[in-house]
Amino acid sequence: MGWARFFRRKQWDAERARELDAYLEIETDENLARGMSSDEARQAACRKLGNSTLIREEIYRMNSIGFFETVWQDVRYAARTLAKSRTFTFVVIVSLALGIGANTAIFSLINAALLKMLPVKDPEQLVQFKVVTPGGVGEGFSYPAYKEFRDHNRVFSGALAFSKFYDEPNIEVDGQSGRAKGQMVSGNFFSVLGIKPVMGRLIAPTDESVAGQSPVAVISDDYWRRRFALDPGVIGKKVVLNNIPFTIIGVTTPEFFGLQPGEKIDVSIPITMKAQVNPSFAFTGTRQDILAAPYRTWLSIMGRLKPGVTPKEAAADLEPMFHASMREAAASLSGLPFDSPAVRQSYLASKLRVDSAGQGLAALRQQFSKPLWILMTAVFLLLLVTCANVANLLLARANARQKEIAVRLTTGAGRWRLIRQLITESILLALGGGILGLLLAFGADRSLVMLMSHSNSPISLNVRPDTTVLAFTMLVSLFTALLFGFLPAWRATRLNLTSALVDSTRSAGRGGSRSKLGKMLIVAQVAVSLVLLIGAGLLARTLQNLQNFYPGFNKEGVLLFTVNPGVIGYNLDQSARLYERLLERINGVPGVRSATFSFYSPLRMLGLLIPKIQEGTPSSVKATDRVGIDDVGPNYFKTFEIPVLAGRDFAPSDRAGTPKVVIINEAMARQYFSDRNPMGKHLTVPGWNGDPSWKEIVGVVKDAQNRGLRESPTPMIYLPLFQFPDEALITFEVRTAISPLSVSNAIQRAVKATELRLPVFDIKTLNEQVDDSLVQERLIASLSGLFGALALLLAAVGLYGLMTYATNRRTGEIGIRMALGATRGQIAGMVLRETLLLVLAGLAIGVPAAMASSHLIRSELYGLRANDPLTILIAGLMMAGIAVFAAYLPARRASRVDPMVALRTE
Amino acid sequence: MLQGTLDLLILQTLIMGPAHGHTIAHTIEQRSEEVLQVEHGSLYPALHRLENRRWIASFWGTSENNRKARYYRLTAAGRKQLLEHTNRWDRLVRAVNRVLRPAKEET
Repeated sequence: MGWARFFRRKQWDAERARELDAYLEIETDENLARGMSSDEARQAACRKLGNSTLIREEIYRMNSIGFFETVWQDVRYAARTLAKSRTFTFVVIVSLALGIGANTAIFSLINAALLKMLPVKDPEQLVQFKVVTPGGVGEGFSYPAYKEFRDHNRVFSGALAFSKFYDEPNIEVDGQSGRAKGQMVSGNFFSVLGIKPVMGRLIAPTDESVAGQSPVAVISDDYWRRRFALDPGVIGKKVVLNNIPFTIIGVTTPEFFGLQPGEKIDVSIPITMKAQVNPSFAFTGTRQDILAAPYRTWLSIMGRLKPGVTPKEAAADLEPMFHASMREAAASLSGLPFDSPAVRQSYLASKLRVDSAGQGLAALRQQFSKPLWILMTAVFLLLLVTCANVANLLLARANARQKEIAVRLTTGAGRWRLIRQLITESILLALGGGILGLLLAFGADRSLVMLMSHSNSPISLNVRPDTTVLAFTMLVSLFTALLFGFLPAWRATRLNLTSALVDSTRSAGRGGSRSKLGKMLIVAQVAVSLVLLIGAGLLARTLQNLQNFYPGFNKEGVLLFTVNPGVIGYNLDQSARLYERLLERINGVPGVRSATFSFYSPLRMLGLLIPKIQEGTPSSVKATDRVGIDDVGPNYFKTFEIPVLAGRDFAPSDRAGTPKVVIINEAMARQYFSDRNPMGKHLTVPGWNGDPSWKEIVGVVKDAQNRGLRESPTPMIYLPLFQFPDEALITFEVRTAISPLSVSNAIQRAVKATELRLPVFDIKTLNEQVDDSLVQERLIASLSGLFGALALLLAAVGLYGLMTYATNRRTGEIGIRMALGATRGQIAGMVLRETLLLVLAGLAIGVPAAMASSHLIRSELYGLRANDPLTILIAGLMMAGIAVFAAYLPARRASRVDPMVALRTE
Repeated sequence: MLQGTLDLLILQTLIMGPAHGHTIAHTIEQRSEEVLQVEHGSLYPALHRLENRRWIASFWGTSENNRKARYYRLTAAGRKQLLEHTNRWDRLVRAVNRVLRPAKEET
């Protein structure tokens, strides 16, 4: 009701005016009847009524809500005053824009990568199935298990399955090869998610029903744009996917990118086409059939909960079905080469977990959640420094406005009313900074996403502003305004009116305590900047340590590229022969020293399995201990320059038909052959490539990093790929005598000359690959460094402003000192000493604060401790150095004061 | 004038039937035997306040000598309010009388 009256207050007023007029008319009539003249009658009536304007105002006020009535006045007044001091406004808005913009930029990354829900129907109902085993949490399920869950649960309105192509499929359009991100999906995938086509139709349950019979593909809107230039004739178009003809049947809506934030899926095909597009190890029609064997777990499953069902209840409902499927999986191993009690036990001991999945798959969240929160903390600290800076500017400005404020106070303005007015100015400034910051943030976010990406697989995140980000910026701006606005406003309105009105800003009022507050702000600013600087220093040195760290192989002078002959229809044996020919050709390219290949790209080793040793495994090895494994080419260790400690490197002669051999690394030798000589011993790795035979150890090599730079090298078994053909995505490594990129074209020509149709991708140097593994470290090191530098700059600007202001105020005093014989050097020294005192106070607070908080980033550090003295020392010196630099100008100005002039103005 | 007295007087006046501001002003002036001198204008904010509280309602009508005028009438809530206020006023007056004229009460 109050609001209704508030908005109708103008009409009310008009109504009242008419009513008062009516009174006057009636009263005048009566006065005329009493015999007055018309003028007299009117005047008497007016007297009787009283001041009608006052009456109307009183009623207007009753209808009004005082606060809102005056907000608009305040805003207009604030805008006018700010427009009058352009430089001040500009400086404040720009520094706020930096602070708020940094916060918005990092927050929108957090929002896009960690918080946003999937752009599907009712994402909060989605859950993902997880398998919890003693060794960790997995997401893989077999196709028979999926069908069981889908058809016999009571808790889902639908359950979908999908599997990403772990290698990117090759798609030929009109004879042109190209890679795409692909996934295989169940028939109900799109309907359960509630995705609609923009054109054509999406994959339906009938496409899943008969294995191998539905070569249809759905493409994303983005892929349609990139690959087909939005050609409306794309529906019904034939393309060749991994050598199998497919028909494009539909295009998904633009906002749908798949189920994993950060990655855009280009092509989806039915899961029942798996054996056609990935024929190696599909074993169609055998006991190991990818679509029928219960132990082959390759599908991720998501369900849409029925309303009111919790993930826990869903897990409870599915538990019996899950255990039945695991028992079946264990039983289905019998007679297979990699069957063992340990493997069976891992199936039987596993448990089902059902997790909320409304935000999609967790890969990106896991990778970036910690770095992004660290950066969020850094930008928050930066914002505090910005606030302190702006507060100091406002203090100085309030000093200049003392007279205005004094006049308003003496003429009856309430103190709170004035504070409100000043805070309105602050809010206006903060909103200006917020808007500019928002623009900065969206300019920066694209580059930030690039900084998060590997060189060859860019992360695609939708960082466009949404309501969450806008609300965040709004809140941060208001918070900032109160933070930097309140103290100066409080201080500005506490005046000694007489002295403020009398004269001269210099002798006025409470200048002393004002600059005390200013000094406190500077100390706080220095302390917070130092915390930020020390954190940034620790992270920068971590990155440096990792970059200088020798990974166990020589990363200089090696070119990498990846091929997958499977996508042009090669089987395993044909692929192996192709690799042989490729090596021959590449070795003939001028500038090439040696060439090899491996199943895993360097530093991306993932395969961890339980090995068997023919001569017996030592009791110190636990049943669950796993080792790394890789299939490699001849001259692998020579190419990587990994020293062979005993025995030999792989040679071209290690091929099908020759005795089966393996090479192990030092860690493996230590763990599995502690007191024995591993040379000549035999081992096998169940479950790696279907070859259960014993292999002889013919070499021991030095450890090299294999799972990234931070993780210490795992025990490794290297197998010669020519003896054990394996699935086909292979990385070639070519060591060159000259710069690797300069032979890149020649090498690509050599590949084309060997097999024209073979697509080559991921061409880069080993150095770049090593750098890629540091993407997180680089992200936080460079950004926190940037924020640290900004904080330093702001602190310096604040210090400069404060010292300039302080020395100006003391011109008279300085004049007296000089008149009494102080030298210019002494005066300058005095100013510098004061500055250093402030900085020292800041350091005294900042160093312990940094030491207390740096353990928060301990897990991100490498090669140094969280309270690394050198980093703290450097940060402190930088702070002190920049402070002296900032104080130099005011100190010099102070030393040039002419005592005569100074004393005369006093 | 005592806070709320004017409100009470207005409600009391309207109990005889709807009236416009001019009438109300004059009635109050006469009925309070000119002890309560009301500047007629101050009546209108009070009318507005009472209307906001829904104790009275207003409508446009025609005055005795054919002028357009805004009329007020008592609502059910206003009637109840008046009763309550009158009772409270009576109690107050009795109490004040007891304090100021104890002897007379006793005799």
